[in-house]
Amino acid sequence: MLTLKMFLNGQEVSVDVEPGELLADVLRDKLGLIGTKISCGEGECGACTVLVDGKAVDSCLYPVLKAQGREVITIEGLGQDNRLDTIQQAFVDKTAPQCGYCIPGMVISAKALLDENPHPTRKEIEEGISGNLCRCTGYYQIIEAIELACERLAEEGGTG
Amino acid sequence: MSSKVVGQSVPKIDAATKVRGQRKFPQDFNMEGQLYAKVVWSEYPHARVSKIDLSQAEALPGVVAILTSKDVPVNEYGINIMDQPVLVGEGEKVRWLGDRIAIVIAESEKIAQEARQLVRVEYEPLPVVTDPREAMKPDAPLIHEERGDSNILKHIKIRKGDIEKGFAEADVIIESYYLTPHVEHAYMQPEAGVGYIDEQGRVTVIAAAQWSHDDLHQISHMLDLPLDQVREIVPAIGGAFGGREDMYIQHLLALCAYCVRRPVKMVFDREESVMRTGKRHPYYMKYKWGATRAGKLTAMEMEIISDAGAYASTSVPVLSNSASFAAGPYVVPNAKVDAYTVYTNNAVTMAMRGFGSTQPPVAYESQMNKLAEALGMDPVELRMKNLLEDGSIALTGNPMPPGVGVKETLRQTALAAGWKEEDGVWIKPGPGLPSAPYKRRGIGVACGYKNVGYSFGFDDKTRAIVELALDESGEIARALVKLGASDQGMGAHTALAQIAAEALGIDYEKVRVALVDTSVVPDAGSCSASRHVYMSGNAVIRACQEAARKREEAIQRGERRVSAEYEYHGRSVRPTTPYDDENGMCDPHIGYGYASQIALVEVDVGTGQTEVLKVWAAQDVGKAINPEMVKGQAGGGVHMGLGYALTEEFIQKEGLIKTRRFSEYHIPTVADMPREFIPLIVEVPDPTGPYGAKGVGEMTTLPTAPAIISAIHDAVGVWIDNLPATAEKVWRAMQVRS
Ligand code: FES
Ligand code: FES
Repeated sequence: MLTLKMFLNGQEVSVDVEPGELLADVLRDKLGLIGTKISCGEGECGACTVLVDGKAVDSCLYPVLKAQGREVITIEGLGQDNRLDTIQQAFVDKTAPQCGYCIPGMVISAKALLDENPHPTRKEIEEGISGNLCRCTGYYQIIEAIELACERLAEEGGTG
Repeated sequence: MSSKVVGQSVPKIDAATKVRGQRKFPQDFNMEGQLYAKVVWSEYPHARVSKIDLSQAEALPGVVAILTSKDVPVNEYGINIMDQPVLVGEGEKVRWLGDRIAIVIAESEKIAQEARQLVRVEYEPLPVVTDPREAMKPDAPLIHEERGDSNILKHIKIRKGDIEKGFAEADVIIESYYLTPHVEHAYMQPEAGVGYIDEQGRVTVIAAAQWSHDDLHQISHMLDLPLDQVREIVPAIGGAFGGREDMYIQHLLALCAYCVRRPVKMVFDREESVMRTGKRHPYYMKYKWGATRAGKLTAMEMEIISDAGAYASTSVPVLSNSASFAAGPYVVPNAKVDAYTVYTNNAVTMAMRGFGSTQPPVAYESQMNKLAEALGMDPVELRMKNLLEDGSIALTGNPMPPGVGVKETLRQTALAAGWKEEDGVWIKPGPGLPSAPYKRRGIGVACGYKNVGYSFGFDDKTRAIVELALDESGEIARALVKLGASDQGMGAHTALAQIAAEALGIDYEKVRVALVDTSVVPDAGSCSASRHVYMSGNAVIRACQEAARKREEAIQRGERRVSAEYEYHGRSVRPTTPYDDENGMCDPHIGYGYASQIALVEVDVGTGQTEVLKVWAAQDVGKAINPEMVKGQAGGGVHMGLGYALTEEFIQKEGLIKTRRFSEYHIPTVADMPREFIPLIVEVPDPTGPYGAKGVGEMTTLPTAPAIISAIHDAVGVWIDNLPATAEKVWRAMQVRS
């Protein structure tokens, strides 16, 4: 067992881990953050997407020890108390979630995209979520939600 | 009555918790002191198990129990026919790779995983049969000796009119042979859950399920326990599409809890979910259709063979649906259908979005498009001359009930896509210029229709409870709708809450829908057959009306709580009947939904790669309870239809599986979807539907594949009759043609 320290959703946390463990498992099983989903376990679907130092990564493939000292943001780190963040609210308003299993990963990928590129084109949005599979929606309302989030963020003047 | 809530795109009832990642799916549950289970799967598609040696596995520290067939009180289950063993014991047969030998239960997932690899199983391999056409033959190896001397599970015959006369009247005849592949549901949430003994001693399962009350019957049978000693709780479901209508994990969790009396968690990884669970049936469809020069269909002859795989599952009702839809949404005076479903050693095949109505359009719509070409007639025009209308006599001899909206879906899609109509003559638009000189564009059209609710005389029913909490002045402060209707993600609970709000005349925000827990909610039937809005919607409206009546009495008595219950039977408005054994005549379905789509594609002539540029998709839903949710269904339906058309194929060789994960089984990514998507909502009411509503979820996927196939033909001149139309297949067909 090793003790890993990371900044998780704005707070420093320490957790005992085994060297071979993956970030997704530690988040879900040891830290109780069940919002990060596992679907394929091989980096194909993006359900497990989290931000590490602002970059979207597949946490099902990410060795947990690599997160040492880094800033990790999961779906639980977005929004405040009972308020959804702008991207989450746009997903609700555009009826984007169907079953919702892909949705935390989609929202995190959208956040990674918009943090870096606040005015993406439609094609850039598609690229931003091209690693996220969804079996329910056909992606259209997800794209519309991201477009809506862009507009609202522009009005708000930044990624809230 | 003007509707305030019905017809509005209110936010989905569960959307906020889903975007926060707070909504719990089965893998998100953990219980105090829980154990972990792993399945020891069959290694052969057909073999007799000669020896099971547990000694090494049992010796591993942390292993709590290893369950084998001896531990199962009644070792059989099955949604339609109980032909499946829960666990296969020594001396018994495995019939596909999804059969199970044992379940290892251990203190940790890692130990369970390690221990299952230590279970030694010896097999005597048996001859394998994987092509249903071979399996039908009298000398084929038998999959189920105990079920008679043939692998044919069911043969359905339809005989209508006189096909010889019909073909003699025809000016053109089109004959083709169509093949569709096994398709994986590929829901994003793999099977998972927890089994435990609840505080009342009931064997309880938390899992994703489409019909919890039916699971309960099967589990109580398997454990030889009374129904009130078993319980199932359905939290958020990560997609299902038919794949959770049968039990793939529910019964295993129940068995574990029953045997070890402690909470047991089990999670399938993606490989298990792909390799060891059911699929959509592959079909082999031989079609011969005739039409007059004026474009009237005169005769149809169809042979449909479906691969049932190792166990029956719902293969017989799926086939029944297919036979009834074999002619497509067209009027034909003379027809002959022979439809078979046959056991093989392939994956079990089962319900999947369309339930037997998804394969026939690949054949019947290509037939229409080929006829249009042979007649030199516009494909929309040819359809308009033959499509069903209210009261038309369908293939099975029944008049179509009011609300047939298929023509309207076609009219709206065609006009939106640029067709011009003058006095019944339809003129197709040009496909536009390709984006590169080595690409060709094409445009294709297709229709489809499907039943809503259970068919062929089955007593489809749904029971709903509505509870009201009244404030001091007697106004409704809150309404709780209780029914066992699973919401696999499409929004059944939202739609039912909207219907309840409308029926009670209150705000949508005041309505809650109870968690599906069989100890609390009544049986509402399966989340399938696009039936919950229609069937459960009808039950909810009536329960609300009853609650409203009771509310008056409650106010007079000074009471603040009201509860009302209603059981709605589909046959109370439209009785259905089973096939006649000899001629197949019947009144098969309660209600129907209709769809038409047009696809614009671009094919790369150098590689055969097809890109779908644009899809127009019209669905007649009777009444859109929530238009944005209908559009979401359309998007998802087109997604699945596009995968069906171009990329998705679950491949087995001699019963062994070649496509095991998402890197090998390609569902469309965002980049594969048409950049432009035009959903069109058509509302031709069904007078028996709640506010006129029909069903939505399945119809949206029916026309996509044949529309794309027709567009490929328009682009490069080849017909792909064997799905999926991979780049290689299209390219090869182009080489043969030139
Ligand atoms: S679960 Fe990590 S990419 Fe699919
Ligand atoms: S909403 Fe179900 S997988 Fe995306």
